[in-house]
Amino acid sequence: MASADNPSRERILGRIRAAVQTTAPHHDGPAGQMFAPVTDPLERFQKECAANITECTVTADTAASAAAIANVLASVPPGEIFAQDAPELRALVSAFKDGRPLRWSSEGPPNEASQATITLCEALVAQTGSVLVSSANGGRQATVIAPVHIVFAKLNQLVPDLEAVFARVYERGIASKNSYVCLITGSSRTADIEKILIMGAHGPRRLIVVLQTGG
Amino acid sequence: MSTAGQEFLRKAAEKSSDLVHRGIVRWNIDQYDTGVGKGKTRFADWSAARQRCHDIKWEGVNHLDKYLLQFEQKVKENGGHVFWAETGEEARQYICDVAARHGVKKVVKSKSMVSEEIHLAQAMEKMGIEVVETDLGEFIVQLRNEPPYHIVTPAMHLNRQQVSKLFHEKLGAAETLDPPELVAIARRWLRKDFFSAEMGISGANFIIADAGMLTITTNEGNGRLSTSVPRIHVALTGIEKVIPRLQDLATLWPTLATTGTGQPITCYNTLMGGARRAGEVDGPEEFHVVLVDNGRSELLADLEQREVLHCIRCGACINACPVFRNIGGHAYGVTYPGPIGSVLEPRLLGFKEYQHLSFASSLCGACTDVCPVHIELHHHLLHNRRNAIHEGTHSASERLGIKLFRWMMMSARRFRFFGWLGRMALRVIHGMGLEGTVLDPMRPWTKDRAAPAMPRESFRDLWRKQNGVR
Amino acid sequence: MPKVSLFIPCFVDQLNPQVGMDVVRVLRRIGYEVDFPEAQTCCGQPAFNTGYWDEARPLAERFVRVFGSAEVVVSPSGSCTTMVKSFYPELLAGTPLHDDAVKLGERVYEFTQFLVKVAKVTDVGASFPHKVTVHDSCHGLRELHIKQEPRELLKNVRGLELVDLPYGEECCGFGGAFSVKYAMISAAMGDTKAGNIEKSGAEYVTAADPSCLMHIEGILRRKKSNARTIHVASILAQTAAAGEKASAAGRGPR
Repeated sequence: MASADNPSRERILGRIRAAVQTTAPHHDGPAGQMFAPVTDPLERFQKECAANITECTVTADTAASAAAIANVLASVPPGEIFAQDAPELRALVSAFKDGRPLRWSSEGPPNEASQATITLCEALVAQTGSVLVSSANGGRQATVIAPVHIVFAKLNQLVPDLEAVFARVYERGIASKNSYVCLITGSSRTADIEKILIMGAHGPRRLIVVLQTGG
Repeated sequence: MSTAGQEFLRKAAEKSSDLVHRGIVRWNIDQYDTGVGKGKTRFADWSAARQRCHDIKWEGVNHLDKYLLQFEQKVKENGGHVFWAETGEEARQYICDVAARHGVKKVVKSKSMVSEEIHLAQAMEKMGIEVVETDLGEFIVQLRNEPPYHIVTPAMHLNRQQVSKLFHEKLGAAETLDPPELVAIARRWLRKDFFSAEMGISGANFIIADAGMLTITTNEGNGRLSTSVPRIHVALTGIEKVIPRLQDLATLWPTLATTGTGQPITCYNTLMGGARRAGEVDGPEEFHVVLVDNGRSELLADLEQREVLHCIRCGACINACPVFRNIGGHAYGVTYPGPIGSVLEPRLLGFKEYQHLSFASSLCGACTDVCPVHIELHHHLLHNRRNAIHEGTHSASERLGIKLFRWMMMSARRFRFFGWLGRMALRVIHGMGLEGTVLDPMRPWTKDRAAPAMPRESFRDLWRKQNGVR
Repeated sequence: MPKVSLFIPCFVDQLNPQVGMDVVRVLRRIGYEVDFPEAQTCCGQPAFNTGYWDEARPLAERFVRVFGSAEVVVSPSGSCTTMVKSFYPELLAGTPLHDDAVKLGERVYEFTQFLVKVAKVTDVGASFPHKVTVHDSCHGLRELHIKQEPRELLKNVRGLELVDLPYGEECCGFGGAFSVKYAMISAAMGDTKAGNIEKSGAEYVTAADPSCLMHIEGILRRKKSNARTIHVASILAQTAAAGEKASAAGRGPR
């Protein structure tokens, strides 16, 4: 939009520039460490997942990961499964091939009626038990639309804390390469009625992380 | 007193004597307090978190031009549109124009207090557009034709019985007192809206200069669906929401979650920097950011109160406020209830109509204590009071009363004499059994409370007796 | 003998004179010489809090002059102490008395804080065989950080049983002019406070601020509650000695 269409822009900026000529007093205080350092990321990640209601399964190799995913899918009602089209997930395809329709992200976004989605992630955060995804993980809807979201991750994707995950975001250009990034912590929830915690508001009711340590 | 002031008094009187209402709010805030108490134990040093949050917001607000321009440039590089709105009217007009251009018939909204501030939904509905609030609490209050009761917990004042009845009446759902079923009803109902709306409107918890992205924080996932499925995404935000760097969120996200709900971190912290890019699977075709001033740059120009722009809208001050706990969110009659609103709204809407909000506080300071960005809220209430008096918003009789008070207090002899006179008069009046009646000059006090006993002698009388007059 | 000057807030002077006398009694008992500058009136807080800073300023200046030569100033009100300590510097900013006000502020203490932090006394030899709970008055708690001081003093009072007050840090609803301008909100807050006092099971609720207590007492009486208020100085003034009669528990006759 040309600035001619938005004359307020210059007026607002003019007022801001005039105002910030003078800097306001700053409240000074000690800025120590907010959080104790994370010493054992894997242990912490599992602990946090348990607390925020993420189902975390640690697997040793590809076969075990495939089995873990197959195990989850066995409990999912009939209907389409959606998966991010990535070599890592293609390699695990035996796990999803349980007779139901399978849609890859290369074919477009998931159908609204998808029963489960399977994606990779950008990173895992031990401090909060979170999963960082972006639009590269099968798109925006892939990680929110179905009642079940399964994330397949490798141990080298696990970072200790939020500071570290942002370092990774910068390093790998995650925020500049993608129009959408989301830090997911647990499954969708609400406490808007009488402060009672209810799982599965608009997003997935179940978030499952299959974390492969080897292979 | 202004019309808004009288309406405030009426609603406050009604709500403060409503014990059921008081009980519901108390229950909610007790849950909140327990959660926040637990949440803070996750921090090695909570004061460090507050200090860092203050530092970040201070940096952003005191270099607002630089960071807003950086943000704008990045968004434009990624194909997004940025519109600067001086007033609510301008912001509404811009968004309505975008909607008209695309023939939008339905809008899904995730929570945005700025949209409430500028009365966006009403303007769009006037154009014949259906506007659907998708946050559960917002959805509930929208069905009741009410504004949000609280900026974080919009339906805090309702219990499950009321929600069940509402869903039955408005959505034709079977009545149920099972909260998960009530949530499921809303989920089923709103799903079709997410997929039929052409436009999604969101707010922004922060806008990030170095990334050219904005972030929204939600638990339900409605914010994610609203910004992923519809063809157009419009994000509406105050200009003060800008922060310098992406990694600042490592501080702000957990702190906002803790003071907002007591969670270690909110379920979904989403960053969005534009429309769907080439090679991406999905996402909106157009991305608009509307930067709303609406009085904020004037606040910025006031060095004394500039820090009010640091507010991250976590709601902690509202929950801590004993006035809010008794009168609830709707009595305030403004978009932002509680201490932050009582500081902000009279500034944004004018002292003439809204100065009463700054006076309707005991100045207890509980708000300042809990503020995660160190805003001295109760001191700002004092500043507002002083500024309102300077603007001459108060009656001549009150001004005269204060002048007389000062005249009396400028002399210890006058003080002693008038003190004696007042005590003796009240002894007589209260002795006649007139305490609390319309004939009692102390009635503003004695209407609700027993009068203190009026002693025969003041302290200085007793002191003189004991120690002799010097 | 060390000396302190008393700052008796105007409404204490007029409505709670016994609280002032009890402060005198305690200070003398622990060995202080007590002075009462009789020229004092009001610190200006009522005008300041209602926005009339121009009317409050001359009162503040007057206060600074009256107490200018005092070594240490002690007051039985956390709120009025806060006015001098925290708000005078802002109110008098840019005036000739600003620096004097800042220096004076450093020498002004709320009564319990003075006893514990300056006089380093936590046992004043008092006796009060009752169940007591503490309301943390807002200004004292949040501006002066008074929390432990009254409790430390009360723990050493003979026969006194200290019980917890639910939501003890929540404002009682007094708030000066707020209590009459927005009386319905103030009374609702007071009602909540009174309910919590009753839940605590205490016979007495005490505080370091007589204004809060006056409001709470008014609410308790109107509710026909059995619980009563008493200023912390009035508890500390009472001894087991038969000769020293309790000063009507800090209350007037009624």
